[in-house]
Amino acid sequence: MSATPPPAATARRWPWLGEFLAGEARAWVYVGKCVLAIFLTGWLAMWLQLEKPSTAMLTVIVVMHPQSGMVLAKSFYRVLGTLTGSLFGLALMSAFPQQRELFLFLLALWVALCAGGATLYRNFMAYSFVLAGYTAVIVVLPAISDPRQIFDSAVMRVSEVLLGIGVTAVVSDLILPQRLRVLLRHSAQGQFAHFIDLVREATRGVLPRERLEEAHLDIMRAAIQLENLRASVIFEDPEVLARSARMRLLNQRYMAAATTLQSLHHLVNRLKRRGRDAVVTALVELYRPIGEALDVPQRHEPAVLEERLRACLAAFPAHLAPLREHFEEHAARLEFDTGAALVERLLEELIGYTGAEAALRSGQPLRGSVERVRFRRGNDLVGAAVAVARTFLTMTALSLFWLASAWPSGANTMLMATVFSGLLATSPNPVLSASRTLYGYAIGFLAGLVMEFYLLPSSEGYGMLVLACAGLMMIGPYLQTRPALAGMGSGYSLGVIGLTSISNPMVYDAVQFFNTGLSQLGGVGLSLVSFMTIPGIAGSRWQQRRVLRLLRREVERAARAPLDGLAWSFESATRDLLQQVVSGTRPGSELLAWALSVQETGRTLIELRQDLAETALDAPARLAIDRALTAVAQLYEAPDASRWLEADAAVLAAIHAAPAGAAVRLHLYQLRSALRDEESPLAPYQPRPAAGASPHAP
Amino acid sequence: MPHEIVVYGVLIPGLLPIFLAALVVMAVIDTALARRGLYRKVWHPSLLRLALFTCLFCAGGLLLIR
Repeated sequence: MSATPPPAATARRWPWLGEFLAGEARAWVYVGKCVLAIFLTGWLAMWLQLEKPSTAMLTVIVVMHPQSGMVLAKSFYRVLGTLTGSLFGLALMSAFPQQRELFLFLLALWVALCAGGATLYRNFMAYSFVLAGYTAVIVVLPAISDPRQIFDSAVMRVSEVLLGIGVTAVVSDLILPQRLRVLLRHSAQGQFAHFIDLVREATRGVLPRERLEEAHLDIMRAAIQLENLRASVIFEDPEVLARSARMRLLNQRYMAAATTLQSLHHLVNRLKRRGRDAVVTALVELYRPIGEALDVPQRHEPAVLEERLRACLAAFPAHLAPLREHFEEHAARLEFDTGAALVERLLEELIGYTGAEAALRSGQPLRGSVERVRFRRGNDLVGAAVAVARTFLTMTALSLFWLASAWPSGANTMLMATVFSGLLATSPNPVLSASRTLYGYAIGFLAGLVMEFYLLPSSEGYGMLVLACAGLMMIGPYLQTRPALAGMGSGYSLGVIGLTSISNPMVYDAVQFFNTGLSQLGGVGLSLVSFMTIPGIAGSRWQQRRVLRLLRREVERAARAPLDGLAWSFESATRDLLQQVVSGTRPGSELLAWALSVQETGRTLIELRQDLAETALDAPARLAIDRALTAVAQLYEAPDASRWLEADAAVLAAIHAAPAGAAVRLHLYQLRSALRDEESPLAPYQPRPAAGASPHAP
Repeated sequence: MPHEIVVYGVLIPGLLPIFLAALVVMAVIDTALARRGLYRKVWHPSLLRLALFTCLFCAGGLLLIR
């Protein structure tokens, strides 16, 4: 079931009109669902005699989203956040009912910590944190002059929010639902096709570095988008939930194959630049069958591709042996073997990836064991600290002002400022979002004025109320369907519903209306001011530098952390870190180059350590390899010329110490070749070929 | 079963534990049905899920007032 398609004749003659009509139909379905959910909630809240039906109605506006999976995910986290916040509010009030200053200080601290926690997550988990913060404020403030009311206040708040959430979830999931699952399937298949095309293109010729960086960015975005979608769709579709572990596995295999592809290409490019043409030709010959295996008429059919890749792997040793015989010389053989090991790994990972995709599409169980995998997030604690500081300062300043002025509506201002500084902190451009919300809120204020003092007094009964208000209510959800106006739309809806505060019996109090309205507008404005004075760090140069450092520290983790599950967590964390600054990153920037280098080196280190754990080596070799690991980790921690020399020497010593023909040795060679890459960001630290002429040398 | 349960001096409706139990049972049924792919053969899966849950919860509720 989807929105009604436009008439075929119109669509053919004016294609843009067809598109426009389809978009409009989708938008109006959303508006209809929104308004239905709002009024249904309002009616139920009055019927159940809840204190503030408007809170339940506001919840609808906050949770509603065109896609039902998003609504359910957001609802789930909202419930969690509301319960936590209420419990904390309750505990705080019972602990400090008399000491106002201490009480407000702790409240501000709690909200600030929650706001900080929210910046550590980039999906709805963040929302849970924000809610846990401001729900405590909402629960506590009405009862601040009479602490005995706190329990009722908390129960009312929770009931109203739960009612709103329940109605929204049911309405959005039952009536003309727009499934997120469809989007997930499309993007997963698109990602698969895109990657297979990339591999095919890459195994035919050599890709230039810029193209590879671009592909790397795409792959990273796709992997993270898939993870975020998966985390929301599991609420909508029990089938996706049942296969959730498999989707995670697919994503991890995808990242693994992408990294190996990059490593292989960097290796080939380096050999080429160094004039090792014989080795390069042999390697190109070696991986050509992969491209041929992928080049079939059904080019994006995973089951077909998997069969062909398996055949390719079976023929691999026979294909490898004659090519290897050409290389008698020791160094050339090492180079070739390193490349061959990478090609074989790429082949194995491609089989795993296509196999997982095929199993997912057909619904068959996956062959072999399914490892437990997790998408690890890479987090920037300083970013969180900035959010904590901003929220804390805003709250404290407002509390002090409120205490000093004894302004009756001070609580409102504080509430709105808290809510918005929490909610908008995670948006990419909080100042813009806050100003849009402020405009929307101001318009909503005027609409609320019209509604409360012109439309409502002349309407009798709930049916008349719906008829009178529906027109003005529709404006907000309609604005929300336009991406540029979405913030304004929600601001408007919050303004209209919050200020009119429909209740039973209705209270018409012009003075209170203006007091509340102006104080809330002031609150939204103050959150805007706080964003202007303490800017978010997203996209700033400072953050880029910090992320760069965190990225490089991942290499150290690859060299030190326990091996169990490290490969997966390394792949996801590096990508997630890069994602945080990616909006301001162009292909070719320093950050991207570092990300590629970190990924190649880190992955090699992990593989090296896995080999080390599996093979029996004598003590001197083990010691030499350990020293090499430490030296490389130190180099990435704070790169400079002397550390580069140290790392290079340590790796070379380890190569000499390792027994010939061991897999450890190939990984060590790959490590050395990555260190000596002239195009990597490590290049400035390498000594120039003209002896001692490097400006970086001490 | 009692209509209201006392937890540390706070009265909690007896329907609440029944609601939570219904959620757990529902999750089990959900997973079982989804693993067999039965939801693909249903016209409106979410309607079916809601109806199933309502049946479970109401059955529990009836036990309470009996």
